[in-house]
Amino acid sequence: MAHSWLSVEAIARSYGARPVFRDLSFGIDRGEFACLIGHSGCGKTTILNILAGLEAPDAGVLVMDGHETAGPSLDRAVIFQSHALYPWLTALGNVAFALRSRHPTWSRTQIEIQARAALATVGLKDAATQKPAELSGGMKQRVGIARALSLEPALLLMDEPFSALDALTRGTLQDEVSGLVGGGRQTAFMITHDVDEAILLADRILLMTNGPDAWLAEIVINTLPRPRDRANLHRQPGYYPLRNHIVDFLVTRSRLLAGQQPPGWTGRDVPEIRPSDFHEQRERVPA
Amino acid sequence: MTRFAAPFLSIVLLALLLGVWQISVHDTQPAAGMDPEYAKLMGLQATAGKSAIPTPLDVAAKLVQAIRDPFYDHGPNDKGIGIQLAYSLGRVLLGFGLAMIVAVPLGFLIGMSPLMGAALNPFIQVLKPISPLAWMPLALYTIKDSDQSAIFVIFICSVWPMLVNTAFGVSGVRREWLNVARTLEVGPLRRALRVILPAAAPTIFTGMRISIGIAWLVIVAAEMLVGGTGIGYFVWNQWNNLSLADILMGILLIGVVGMALDRALAAAATSVAWRE
Amino acid sequence: MPLICDPFDPSATHSDGCGCAAHGGVSQLQGADRMAQIVNTAVLRAAFPKATSRRRFLKAVGATTAAAALAELFPLASATALAQDAPKGLEKPNLKIGFIPITCASPIIMAQPMGFYAKHGLNVEVIKTAGWAIVRDKALNREYDAAHMLSPMPIAISLGLGSVKQSWQIPAIENINGQAITLAVKHKDRRDPKTWKGMRFGIPFDYSMHNYLLRYYLAEAGLDPDSDVQLRVIPPPEMVANLRADNIDGFLGPDPVNQRAVFDGVGFIHILSRELWDGHPCCSFSSSAEFAQANPNTFLALTQAIIDATGFANKAENRKQIADAIAPTNYLNQPPVVVEQALTGIFADGLGNVVRQPLRAGFDPFPWESFGVWILTQMKRWGQLKGDVDYAQVAKSVMLATDARKQMTALGLAAPAANTKTFVVMGKAFDPATPEAYLASFPIKHV
Repeated sequence: MAHSWLSVEAIARSYGARPVFRDLSFGIDRGEFACLIGHSGCGKTTILNILAGLEAPDAGVLVMDGHETAGPSLDRAVIFQSHALYPWLTALGNVAFALRSRHPTWSRTQIEIQARAALATVGLKDAATQKPAELSGGMKQRVGIARALSLEPALLLMDEPFSALDALTRGTLQDEVSGLVGGGRQTAFMITHDVDEAILLADRILLMTNGPDAWLAEIVINTLPRPRDRANLHRQPGYYPLRNHIVDFLVTRSRLLAGQQPPGWTGRDVPEIRPSDFHEQRERVPA
Repeated sequence: MTRFAAPFLSIVLLALLLGVWQISVHDTQPAAGMDPEYAKLMGLQATAGKSAIPTPLDVAAKLVQAIRDPFYDHGPNDKGIGIQLAYSLGRVLLGFGLAMIVAVPLGFLIGMSPLMGAALNPFIQVLKPISPLAWMPLALYTIKDSDQSAIFVIFICSVWPMLVNTAFGVSGVRREWLNVARTLEVGPLRRALRVILPAAAPTIFTGMRISIGIAWLVIVAAEMLVGGTGIGYFVWNQWNNLSLADILMGILLIGVVGMALDRALAAAATSVAWRE
Repeated sequence: MPLICDPFDPSATHSDGCGCAAHGGVSQLQGADRMAQIVNTAVLRAAFPKATSRRRFLKAVGATTAAAALAELFPLASATALAQDAPKGLEKPNLKIGFIPITCASPIIMAQPMGFYAKHGLNVEVIKTAGWAIVRDKALNREYDAAHMLSPMPIAISLGLGSVKQSWQIPAIENINGQAITLAVKHKDRRDPKTWKGMRFGIPFDYSMHNYLLRYYLAEAGLDPDSDVQLRVIPPPEMVANLRADNIDGFLGPDPVNQRAVFDGVGFIHILSRELWDGHPCCSFSSSAEFAQANPNTFLALTQAIIDATGFANKAENRKQIADAIAPTNYLNQPPVVVEQALTGIFADGLGNVVRQPLRAGFDPFPWESFGVWILTQMKRWGQLKGDVDYAQVAKSVMLATDARKQMTALGLAAPAANTKTFVVMGKAFDPATPEAYLASFPIKHV
C-alpha cells in the first residue's frame, strides 16, 4: 500500500473540536477503481474534495505518482453529484470549456471535434447544441461524464454521480460508466452509499464507519469477474456474500464502530478483506 | 380570444380616460361682459382663473406638430423635440455608461471579497438614498460645468443598483461552478469573464434595468434644474410659458422613451438569461 | 452653413470658404462696403435664424430687396455706421451669455435677434437659465462669459455673500422700474399692506431688488418682513404656477411674470415698483473683473453692444418691436401680447381696468454708484451683511459708472455728469454720502 500510485497519507479534518476523521490513509493503484462507501456525515465528500484539491486537509498529505500534491489540477477530473454544468453554455460548450482548459493551444475546430467526440461516447451526439435546461437529469450527468473524460485525467473522481437520478436512468448510466471506466482503463475513485453500485463498479470497496471520528474499518476486495453487467451480476457466485457483508456493515457495524477504534489502532493498517474472510470478520463485531 | 383580452381592455381604459378628460376640460369659455380692449389684452385664451388644462386633442395636435419637425434648431434655447430627446439620451447613456464601468468591476470586487463588501457597505447604504437634486449644487460647485454635473448626477444615482446587484450576483455564484473552474485550472481572468460574469449576468442586468430607470428619472429633474438642453429643459421651458399641452406632450414622450430604454435592457437581459 | 464666417476672427481669411448664400462671399468688398455687407447679413441672419427659410426668403425676393425690407424693421444704416467704430482685435469674439427669461433682460436678449452683438463684432449665444443660483454658478464657473444678474448679485459675489468671493462688475444696468407686487385674485379687497400679516410672498432671490423693495414696502406698513410674513425664494418662471396653486398669496416679481399672472386670471397687479421708487434699478449686465481684464477689447465691444441695445430699448416707439423679438420660444417663451403689455405699459391690471403707464418699464444703462450704496444699506438692514463696509469703495468697484459714461457718450446717448445722485424711496430721501444715517433711520431692521 505504501507503494500505491495514489496514496492518501494520514489526512485529518475536524469541525471545531470534533474530528470528522483523523489519521486516514489508503491507496489506489493505477487503473484501479476504488469506491468509498459510508453513511452521510462520515466525511466522504470531504475526502473526495481533498483528493480533488478543492479542500485542504487539516493534517496529512496526498501523494500522487511519488509527488506530494496540493490544490486542484487537470489531472484529477471530477464528476459532481449535481452535474455542475454551466447553464449558459450548450452541452458542447460545457465540454469545449473543459477541453480549452486542457489544450489552450488547440484551434477552435480541434476543440469542437474533440468535444463532439466526447459527447458521442456518452450517446449525446444529437444533443450537442442544447442547453442543460433542455436536457433530462440523466443527459445532464452524461454531459458531466463526457466533460470529465474528455480531459483524459490521470484520476477520475466521482461524487455520488448517480444519486440524483431515477432508478432506471441510474442503472443505465452505471452500466455505461462501467464500460467506459472499469477494467483497468481509468483510475477512478468514487464515493457512494449505494451497495450495488459499488459492487458493480469497484475493484476495491472502502468501508467507512459513521461519524463523528469516522475511520476506515476495512477494505473489501471485489473479486467478481469483469466485464460485469447489472443484469447478470447477481447470478455470479460470491455476489450475495459480498453484498450481505457490505449491507451488514452499513446497517449495523458502521454505526457500532463509530469512534470505536480498536486498541492500538493506526490508520496505516486497514485490514483488506477478501470474500473468503467474511465469516471471520463478523466475529470481530463488538458485543 | 383571451390573447386579445388584455390589449382590448387597455384600449377601452385609454378611450375612457381620454373621453373623460376631453369632456371635463373642453368648455373653458372666456369671461363675458368685458371691456373689449381689456378682453384683447387678456387674450382669447384668458380663462378668468379657471383651469387651463388642455384637451387630449390639444396635446395630440402638439405631438403631431412636434413630430413633424423634430430636428429644427431655432437657436440655443429653442430646438426640436428630437434634438432635446437626443441630448437627454446622450447624457443618460454617458452617465449610465460611466456608472457601468465603475459599478460592474467594483461590484465584482465586493462580491468576491466579503471583507470589502462589509467595509464598503456602510458607504453604499448612506450614499444610495441621496436624491439627485441634492447632489446638483455640490456637483456644480466642484465640477464647475453644468453639463458634466448633470452627467455626474446621473452617474452617482445610477451606480448603486448596478453595484449592489453585481455584488449580489457575484457573491451568489454557485460554489460548484467555481469548483469546476478550479478543477479545470481556469485562470482568474477567464474565470471572471467566462464563469462569474455569465453566472451573475441576469442579476447584473436586473440592476442595470433599475439603474437606467433611475437615470432617466434623474435626467429630467437635472435638466429642469440646470436648463440649456434636453427634454427636462423642454418641460421646464413650457412650464415657464404655462403651456400645459406642451408639458403633457413632454410627459408622454418621457414615458415612452423611458419605456423604450427599459424594454431595450429587458431584451438585452433576456439574451444573457439562463435557466437550469 | 453660416452666413458670415466670423469676420472679426483674425485667423479667418475671407478669400475662400465663406459660404455667404446671399452674395457669394464678401471677400471682394473693402472697408465700408464690406462692413455694410456684414451688418446686413448679420441682421438678415437674426431675422431668419433658420438657414432654409433665410435662403428661401432671399431666393424669393432677391438680396437687395431683402436688405431694403429689413431696413424697414431694423436701423441698418446707423448700425452699419457704428460697426465701423467697433473695437479691433477682439480677443474672444464667440461668447456665451446667460439670462433668466424675464423682460428685465430685454437688452441682453434682443441684442441677439436684433443684431446688436453682431453690430459690435460679436457672435453671442444667449442661454436661457433656470434660476438665479444657476446663473451665478455658471457665471462663476466661466460657462458664461457674462450674465444677466439681479443688481445686488454682483455686489454679493464681490463681498463673498452666499457664494465664493470673486470680483464682479456691473458695466451696465439693464432696466429700471418694471417690477410689481402681484396678489392672488382672492385678495382683491385686501389692498392695505397693514392687513397682510401672515401672508406668504414670493421673491426671486435673496440678493434681489425685489427682496429689498418688498421688505421696504412691508416695513413702511409696520410689518417685520422676517416675523410677520413669510418670504419664499421662487424662480420667476415658477411664480405664476405657485400663485395658482395657492402656495403664495402674492409676489414682488419681474415682468412678464406679473402680467402673466393677470393674463392667466390668477392674480392682479397691486402696485408697480415705480410707485415705491421711481427709477430703481432691477437687473444688471455683469461679468467677472477677470474677464474684463483678460479680454479688454471684447469687454468693451460687449459693453457697447449692451448699452446700445439698452438705449434702443428705452425708446417707447421700439417697445412693440422688442416684444415681438423676445417673445418666441428661444427667448422668453411667452405670448407676445403679455410681453407687449409689460413693455408698453398699456396693460390689463387684473381687476378689469386697462392701465396706461408708459413708465411701467424703463431701460437706462447708467450704473449709478449710489444704487450700489443703497443696496449695501439694505443688505446691512436685513442682516445679510455684518460689520463695517466701505460703502463708496464697494459701490465704485462694482458699478462701472465712469466707463459707462464714456461708452454712452460715444454711442450718442445722454449720460449723466456725476456718478452719484440722491433719490427718494417711498417718500424718504436717500443721500449716498450718509448711508449709516439712512440705515439708522429705519425703525424696523435686523442689523
